[in-house]
Amino acid sequence: MIALIGLAAGVALGLLLEPDVPLWLQPYLPIAIVAALDALFGGLRARLEGIFDEKVFVVSFVGNTVIAALIVFLGDQLGVGSQLSTGVVVVLGIRIFSNAAAIRRKLFGA
Amino acid sequence: MALLADLFAGRLLDPGYAEAEARRAASGRPAPRGRPRGAGALLVLMLVGVLLAAAGAQARRSEPVAAEQRARLLAQIRARADDNDALQRRLERVRAETERARAMALARSAEGRRVRGELSAAAAAAAATPMSGDGLVVTVDDADPPEQGGGAGDGGRVYDQDLQVLVNGLWAAGAVAIAVNGQRLTPTTAIRSAGEAVLVDYRPLSGPYEVTAVGDPARMLDAFGGSAADRRMRVLEERYGIRYEIRRVEGVRLPAAGVLRLRHARAAAP
Repeated sequence: MIALIGLAAGVALGLLLEPDVPLWLQPYLPIAIVAALDALFGGLRARLEGIFDEKVFVVSFVGNTVIAALIVFLGDQLGVGSQLSTGVVVVLGIRIFSNAAAIRRKLFGA
Repeated sequence: MALLADLFAGRLLDPGYAEAEARRAASGRPAPRGRPRGAGALLVLMLVGVLLAAAGAQARRSEPVAAEQRARLLAQIRARADDNDALQRRLERVRAETERARAMALARSAEGRRVRGELSAAAAAAAATPMSGDGLVVTVDDADPPEQGGGAGDGGRVYDQDLQVLVNGLWAAGAVAIAVNGQRLTPTTAIRSAGEAVLVDYRPLSGPYEVTAVGDPARMLDAFGGSAADRRMRVLEERYGIRYEIRRVEGVRLPAAGVLRLRHARAAAP
């Protein structure tokens, strides 16, 4: 419940403030969001399995976003930015879906 | 391949939580369940929310920018096309002047007069000079866009092949000069398509397409009516609802073709 409130408060805050994303940060924003979603689903799954750990959650979120952004940055420097972005999205997508499947099993037993 | 192997084995992809749980169990601390959620998770969740909102706002903001860029490009295309037309008119004027000077120079001798006759025949065939006279105007246009739910779909569109067949049919029917939407065709002019646009001489045209053919109208009508091209257009009209009309015109004037490349002629050594 608190988690949902926090998420809603964040969205409201973002909409109210409309933070101007600097140009150099714009390519990393979508990747950072996908990475954050991965951490989010991982945390949700752990909570449903009763093994949620705040430290793991925070560290996985920060680590995921930073590493995803770093990989894309490195790819941009090497000239394979879009391919690496695709790779990151594929890997994180697989993880998100497997976590979502586990959540579904826990919630609906199906 | 470890990722895929883990995936197929149904193993945990992120063992972090399980390991933390094992460590906690080993150290004998109380289970985290029921404990009030800390500020860290809340902060991270808020951060995720801000990220989502910022990305959404960013995507919304970039839409008008893209539209504006598109409008600018369109304006640029129009301006360049206008420039092109102005240059074309100038070219025509200069060409007429050259033509006059050449005619004057050639009129001085009998040999010159003979060459002039040959030259004007060749120029007419190569669409190098404007042409005027009576003729036919064939108008074709895309069918009206199909209404919601079932329709001709893309079939109601006039394709480059249709125009090619139509133009070839008119040549075969005895046309001496043909222009599509005012764009004069030479024997080597290409009618192609790029995406959804029909290109004539590499210039994009849009419907309705008016194919003007100069020649003896009565003879052309006779020869064209019932020809393969005419039959094809009639079928397209019946089946897909494209517009197809033929009418006679009098005293129509076609401009000279735009680009004429010299293929065999060489400048004489000075």
